[in-house]
Amino acid sequence: MKEHQKEAKRKNMFLSTLNAPCIELSGNRELLIEGSKGVLEYATDSVRINTGGMIVNVAGRELNLRCISDSALIIDGFIISLSFTV
Amino acid sequence: MLLDLLRMVRGWVAFSVSGKYPERFINITSRHRVRLWNVHRSEDCFTACMYRSDYRRIRPLAHGAGVRLKVISKNGLPTMLFRYRERVGILIGACAFVLSIFVMSLFIWSIDITGLETVSRAEMNDVLRDHGLYIGAFKPSLDVQKLSRDVMIERHEIGWMAVNVTGSYASVEIKEEAVPPEVDDIYSPCNVKARSDGVIVRIEAAEGETMVMEGSGVIEGQLIVSGIRTDEQGTHRLVHADARVMARTTRQASFSMTEQMKLLRPNGEEAERQMLSFLGLCFPYRVNAVDSPDTVSNTDTEVPAPLGITLPIGVVTDHVNALSEEEMILDDNSAEELLQQEARLYEAFALQNCTIESREYRLKHNDGVYTLYATYTCVEDIAYSDPIGTDENTDLTPYVAPTEKK
Repeated sequence: MKEHQKEAKRKNMFLSTLNAPCIELSGNRELLIEGSKGVLEYATDSVRINTGGMIVNVAGRELNLRCISDSALIIDGFIISLSFTV
Repeated sequence: MLLDLLRMVRGWVAFSVSGKYPERFINITSRHRVRLWNVHRSEDCFTACMYRSDYRRIRPLAHGAGVRLKVISKNGLPTMLFRYRERVGILIGACAFVLSIFVMSLFIWSIDITGLETVSRAEMNDVLRDHGLYIGAFKPSLDVQKLSRDVMIERHEIGWMAVNVTGSYASVEIKEEAVPPEVDDIYSPCNVKARSDGVIVRIEAAEGETMVMEGSGVIEGQLIVSGIRTDEQGTHRLVHADARVMARTTRQASFSMTEQMKLLRPNGEEAERQMLSFLGLCFPYRVNAVDSPDTVSNTDTEVPAPLGITLPIGVVTDHVNALSEEEMILDDNSAEELLQQEARLYEAFALQNCTIESREYRLKHNDGVYTLYATYTCVEDIAYSDPIGTDENTDLTPYVAPTEKK
């Protein structure tokens, strides 16, 4: 029984990894998010990105969306904090 | 860089988005796979850029999202072509420019020759021209391998040659053939004799028997160092006599000129001719002439070479100075001065191997002709080798000093 539960848990983790966005941070100046589902809020001091399973909150100064495509975006500026709302 | 080029070719629009929820516009573009870049937020709107073709597609959708789009600027090649659509000349000019670059790249613009030592550059240019390599030569018809081979066969003084054509620039590298040094003949028997009359100052005999003493006078053709050596047993042996015989000699020379002289002098009349040289062809565009039939000209060629690239175009300027004939009658002083100049030229060329100890000039004037008689006392090497025949018919008795009979 225990083995079965462990297997199910591992399977769930794998599926959640597939659904998760890929986030790449270069210092605190550039953030690349792959797997974005839309921009919820865009201001110069905060950007909120919907990634499906969670919302990525980026706080900072002079934030710009350098490039936006259908599933990826690059934020550049002075990033102060990065938080997630699940 | 590549992305900028792509954006330039496709054309892009910078625009501003204003409305209550501008984020909705961003999501609409994402859903329709439209790329945005340089998105900047300002107080009540944001600015962004997208491709020109996408902007047309996204504009009605933006209206539905409740935002207003306003074009700030249109950029790129399509915009430029649209702006200049009625100015056909620019299009023709651009096409002509591209075509001329393409056509010009098919010809040789400049040739650089390196490695020349004894062969002159002008001579080498002529040889290369005969084999098809010249400024303005059609590049596809050049076979540089064959050219190098043919030139090396034709000109024996060229040991190795390579022609590298880079773009429209031909570089010719040459190594001249090393000439083997002359090997002195030190085995064939010979005597050393006097080339001219003189008084022996010094004899430096390397081989052979010295027949005259230092301080004695010799006449032309006299034996100085014999090539026949006699040992203690009285045996004669033929050797290659070698000696340096320094003798004091007297040289005489005379130089003459008439007292009436005709001189060609510049009369101040000048003219300048200019030609445009293009790929080896010259097109005169400024033609001037002088009245005098006697002229002297000086040619300058200016070839622009921006960034070290020699262009196939240049300006050839020909400065022509007219000369007029003047007659003058020489007096004694000026005649002597001119004749002494001739004498100095004679010394520099004819007496270059001599050390001149003293010189004496004597000027004579007879029947309108000035003659300068120069007498030089020199110290020079008067030795020359006279081979001794060694076949069976040669009579050696003149060379052999008489020996006492026991």
